Amino acid sequence: MTEASMIGLLVATVSFGALLYLAALGELISEKAGVLNLGVEGMMAMGAVSAFMAAHQTGNPWIGLAVGVLAGALTGFLHGWFTVVLGAEQVVSGLSLTILGLGFAAYMGKNVVGRPPGGVLAPVDWGPLTDIPWAGPVLFGQAPFVYLAVLAGLATWFVLSRTRIGLALRAAGESAPTADAAGHSVVGLRLGAVVVGGGLAGASGAYLTLTLTPQWAEGITAGRGWIAVALVIFGAWRPGRAAVGALLFGGLLALKTRLQTFGVDFSPILLSMLPYVFTITVLIAISVRSRNRPSPAPAALGTTYRREER
Amino acid sequence: MTQTAAVELVDIWKRFPGVVANAGAHLRIDRGTVHAVLGENGAGKSTLMNVLSGVYRPDEGEVRLDGVLHRFHTPADALTAGIGMVHQEFRLVPSFTVAENVVLGAAERILRRQDVEARVDELARRFGLATEPDRPVWQLSMGERQRVEILKALWRDARILILDEPTAVLTPNEANELGGVLRHMADDGRSVIFISHKLHEVTGFCDVATVLRGGETVAASLPVAGTDAATLAGLMVGSTSLAGERPPARAPGEVRLAVSGLCALGDRGLPAVHDINLEVRSGEIVGIAGVAGNGQRELVQVLAGLRSATDGTVDLGGKDVTTDPPRRRFGSGLCYIPEDRLGVGLAPRLSVVENAVLRSYAQHRRGPFLLEASMTAHCQDLVDRFGVRTGPLGDPVAGLSGGNLQRLLVGRELGSGPGVVVAAQPTRGLDVQGVKAIQDLLVAERDTGTAVLLISEDLDELLTLSDRLLVMHQGRILAEFDPRNSERSIIGEAMAGHLPEEGAA
Amino acid sequence: MRRPVLVRRDRPVRGGQPLAFAVGLVVALLVGAVLLMAAGHEPMSVYQRMFEKSLGDSNAWSLTLNRAVPLGLAGLAVAVAGSMGLWNIGAEGQILAGAMGAAWVARIGGTWPGPMLLTGMLVGAIVGGALLALVPAVARARIGVNEIITTLMLNEIALRLLQWLIHGPWKDPASFNFPLTPMLPDQAHLPMLFGRAHYGVLIAGAVILVFGVAASRTAWGYELRIAGSSADTARYAGISLKRKILTVLLLSGGVAGLAGGVELSGTADRLTEGISNGFGYAGIIVAALALLRPSGVAVVALLFGAVQVGGQSIQIIGVPASVSTILQAFILFGAIGAGVFVRYSVRLIQMGVDASGEGEEAT
Repeated sequence: MTEASMIGLLVATVSFGALLYLAALGELISEKAGVLNLGVEGMMAMGAVSAFMAAHQTGNPWIGLAVGVLAGALTGFLHGWFTVVLGAEQVVSGLSLTILGLGFAAYMGKNVVGRPPGGVLAPVDWGPLTDIPWAGPVLFGQAPFVYLAVLAGLATWFVLSRTRIGLALRAAGESAPTADAAGHSVVGLRLGAVVVGGGLAGASGAYLTLTLTPQWAEGITAGRGWIAVALVIFGAWRPGRAAVGALLFGGLLALKTRLQTFGVDFSPILLSMLPYVFTITVLIAISVRSRNRPSPAPAALGTTYRREER
Repeated sequence: MTQTAAVELVDIWKRFPGVVANAGAHLRIDRGTVHAVLGENGAGKSTLMNVLSGVYRPDEGEVRLDGVLHRFHTPADALTAGIGMVHQEFRLVPSFTVAENVVLGAAERILRRQDVEARVDELARRFGLATEPDRPVWQLSMGERQRVEILKALWRDARILILDEPTAVLTPNEANELGGVLRHMADDGRSVIFISHKLHEVTGFCDVATVLRGGETVAASLPVAGTDAATLAGLMVGSTSLAGERPPARAPGEVRLAVSGLCALGDRGLPAVHDINLEVRSGEIVGIAGVAGNGQRELVQVLAGLRSATDGTVDLGGKDVTTDPPRRRFGSGLCYIPEDRLGVGLAPRLSVVENAVLRSYAQHRRGPFLLEASMTAHCQDLVDRFGVRTGPLGDPVAGLSGGNLQRLLVGRELGSGPGVVVAAQPTRGLDVQGVKAIQDLLVAERDTGTAVLLISEDLDELLTLSDRLLVMHQGRILAEFDPRNSERSIIGEAMAGHLPEEGAA
Repeated sequence: MRRPVLVRRDRPVRGGQPLAFAVGLVVALLVGAVLLMAAGHEPMSVYQRMFEKSLGDSNAWSLTLNRAVPLGLAGLAVAVAGSMGLWNIGAEGQILAGAMGAAWVARIGGTWPGPMLLTGMLVGAIVGGALLALVPAVARARIGVNEIITTLMLNEIALRLLQWLIHGPWKDPASFNFPLTPMLPDQAHLPMLFGRAHYGVLIAGAVILVFGVAASRTAWGYELRIAGSSADTARYAGISLKRKILTVLLLSGGVAGLAGGVELSGTADRLTEGISNGFGYAGIIVAALALLRPSGVAVVALLFGAVQVGGQSIQIIGVPASVSTILQAFILFGAIGAGVFVRYSVRLIQMGVDASGEGEEAT
C-alpha cells in the first residue's frame, strides 16, 4: 500500500463522508422534530437531477446547487404536507416519496442522460494549505460540498442545542403537546424541519451530479439515501456522532473500490453491507441500554399530532 | 370590593355535543389570593379553566383580566396575558433538563446553558421550589415534576396560576409544602386558582372558594375562614348527601385471596412492592388506601399476573397462582378491573362485541373459527344485564361514554361469576351516577360471597365501601383500619407514612 | 379572519376508502397527463395504450395478473404485520431472500421431478423470507427494537447478499465470467394457467384468501386485532405479545419470501439482481391503500399490476416507464389526501381557536 493510495483513500473517505453527512443531517433535523422521512433517496434523486439540469442549462454549477437544494426542499415539503398537515402515516408517505422522487427524477432527466455537465464544483484551491503533506489533500483539497457539510453540521449542532428554535424543535419531536402548550407551532416546526431536511438531501444529491460523478444517470443515488437514514440512528440522533459515523461509512464506500488495489481479498459487495449491519447492531444496543432510561430517539418520532385529539 | 378583579369570568357558556359544560358560570378572583374552585367531576371546573387558559373559546360570556376584556384564541394568547396553567398531566419533556423545560415557552433566541440554569435556580429559590436545573426531568419524582410545572408558569411571569387538582400525585407532606408555595406566590401579588374536590386542602390552603355544580356557579367567592367543610360539601353535591349509605356488613367466609411476602419491581427496575401480606375473604371488601405511586399499581398488576413477583406467593382459593399467566388466573376465578379502562381493560378500536368477549372468546370458537352469533348473543346479554348504553354492537367501543365503558368492563368481569375481584380505581373519572352504579355493583358482588379487593385514591369511597382498610406507603402495607371507627386524620397520617401508635400491619 | 380546521367525524364516511382510492386514481391520471403533455405526448392515446396492453384482452390480463402476484403477496405481507400495528418494510429484501431460497433449492434439486422441485423451491422461498425477518422479529419481540429500521436495513443487506452470490459463489462457470447464475432447470418453472399467466396467480389468490379468512374469522385473527389495538389489553387478555410479534413478523417475511419464489419460478429464467423490481416497496403502498385488509390488497395489487404492465407497454412509443412509477406514487398521495376527508371534515373557524369536538368528562 503506497502513501499515495493511502492519501487517496482518505480523500475519498472525507468526500463520501460529506455526501452521506449532508443527507443524514437533513434526516436528523427532520427526525428531531418528530418526522421520520424515508424519502431521502427520492429527495436526493430530485436534488441530483435538478442540480444537473440547472447547471447544464445555465452553465453555472452554483445555480445548479441552489436549484438542487430547492428541489429537495420542495420534495420534502410534499412529505411534510401529507404527514404533518394531513396526518398521513409517515412510513408510507416517506417510502412513496422515494418511489416518486426516483421516478420523477428519471422522467425529468431522460434527455440529459450522459450529457456533459454545464460546470462542476471542483475542489477549492486553498493555496499553500493544499501542499501540506497528508492534511493538505485530505482537508484542503476537497470540493465546496465538503466544507458545506462541515458548516451544516456545526450549524445544526448549534441551532439544536443552543437556540430557542432548536429547543422548540426538539420539544416538538419529544412531546408535541408540550411544545404546543408552550406556545410553539408544532405544525410549523415540523414542516420547517422536513423542508430544511429535504434541502440538505437535495444538496447531497447535487454533490453527486455536480462533483462526484458529474453527469446524470438513472439510479445515481444507488441507495445512499438509505445509508443516510442509517447514519442518523448510528449517530444516536446527534450531529457530532453522525459526523463520526459519516466518516466511517464514507471510509467503507471509499474502500469498496480500492480493496483490490490494496491487495485485500475480500468481496467489496460484502463490505458495502457493513453500514447496515453496524446500524442494526447499534439500534439493538440502544434498545438494550434504554431499559432504564429514555432512548436517544425522539420520543414522538413517527407520530402525528393534532391538538383536538385528547 | 371596589378593587378591580384580577380575573373576572362573566356568564360563561360552553356547550359540547350532548353536554352543556358551562351554563352561565361566574368567577371573580382578587389579586394576591389563593382561590379554590370546587366541584364534582363533571361540574364544569376544567371546562371553565380551559376557557380561562385559552384552550376553549366560550360560546357566550366574557373573560376580563384587570377589568380589560380579553379574547383568547389559543393557549399562547392566554399565556401572553399572564395566565399559567399547571395541568394534571404534566406537560414536560422527560429527556429535557429542568431548565430546558422551564424556559421552553419563553427563551431568548440564543441559549447560554449555564446562564439559563442559574436564572432558573434563582427563580426557584425565590419561591421556595427546590430543584436541580441541570437534571433531566425523567429522573424526578412526581412532586419535583410539579415544581417544574409551576416554575414554567413563574418563568413566564404568570400573574394568574391555575393548578388543576395539583395534590392528586402528592404525598400529604408534599401537598402541605405546595400549600406554602401557593401562599408565597399570593404574597407576591399573584392570584392562584386551586382546583380540587378535597375539602380539607381547600380549607387548609385557600382564602376564598367558588363552587360549581352542573356547569353553574352555586356559590361565588365564599371566604373560607367563615365556612365549614360541610357547607362546601353540601354546595358541591347539592341535595344528594355526601357520605354514602354504608352497606350492611356481612360475616366474611373462607379466605379466597392470600398474599404473603410479596415483592415486585416497578417500571424502572427499582423495588416497588415490599413484603406484602394480605388476605381477602369471601363476602368482604378489603380496601387499599394510599397516595398514588406508592406501589398500589404494581401490587395490583402482580395480582393480575401482568407483573412478575420477585419474591412471595399469591394464593387463589387455596391454589398457588404466583407464576400463572393472566388467562389462567382468570380461569381460576380472579377477575380484574384495571385502572386504565381504554388501553388495558378495553381495546379502543375494536367493536363492543369484540371487547365483550375479551375474556371468554375461547368459549365462542369451533376449531380455529370464532362463532359470530354466539359472541353477539353474549355481548347483548352483558349489555342488557349491566345497563350499558351503546350504539350498534359492531361499532368501536371508543365511542361509548366513560360510564358505559366502565359498565361494560365491570359487567364483563363480574359476568363470569368470579371468586375474587381486584378493582383498581373503578370509579375514577365517572360522573356521580356512574360512580354510584359501579359501587352498587361491587357491593352486590360482595353480597353474593365474592372476595373484593378495592384499590382507590378516594378515601371517602374506601371508607364507605370497605369492610377492612389497609394503607399502603412506599410499597408496604403500613397499617390496617376498621373503616367503621377510624378517624380520617389518622388514616391520612398513615398514608403519609406516619405509623399510628396502635396500628396493626 | 377565518381559517380552515380539520374536525374529526363521529364515524368515517361510509364507503370512503374506495372513494378516496378513486380520487387518488383521478389525481394521478391528471398529474400524469400534465407530465406527458409537458414532454410532448398525447395523454389520451398513451393512457389508451396503457389500458389496452394491461386490461384490453386476455393476454393483457395474463400479464397484469402475473404482475399482481408479487405485488399482492408483498402487500399481504405488509398487511399481516400491519394488522397488529407492526411495519414490515422489509418486504423488498424478503422477496430477494425468498428468491435466493428458491434458487438454492433449484441448485441442489436440479434433478428432482417437477412437482417436488417446485414445492421445495416455494418452501425454500418461504423459509428464506422468514429467515430475513428473523432478526427484526426477535429483536422486536424480546427487546423492543423498532422493526421499521431493522427491516429497512435488511433490504439493503439482502440486496448485497444477492449481488455477492451472483458475482461469486453462484456464478455460472459457463458464463464467461459474466455475473450470471445458471439457468433454472426446465421443471423449475410454474405451469401456465392461460396466456402468459402462471400458477402463481392461484397460489397468491389462495394465500390471500386464507389470510383474509384467518384475520377476520378466527380466534388467531381476533388475538392479532387485540394485540394491534393495544399491547396492554393483549397482556391483560392473556395473549402473549412476544409470541404474536414473532409469529406475525416471521409469517410476514415468509409471505414476502413466497413472492420471491413465485416470481423466480413463474417469470424468470435465472436468479438476477432485478428479480424483485421494487415489489416490496410498492407492496407497502398497496397495503396502505387497502387499509391493511387482505381483500383490498388483492384489488389494489391488480390495479397496480395493470399500471406497471401498462407503463412497460408505452416504452415502445417513446414514453419512459417511469411514468408508471409516478402514477403509482400519486395514486397513493391522492388517496391519502382524499382519505383525510373520509375521517375529518373541514370547518372554518375564527382565527386561532381550537376546534375541539368534545369537552372534558363529556358523557
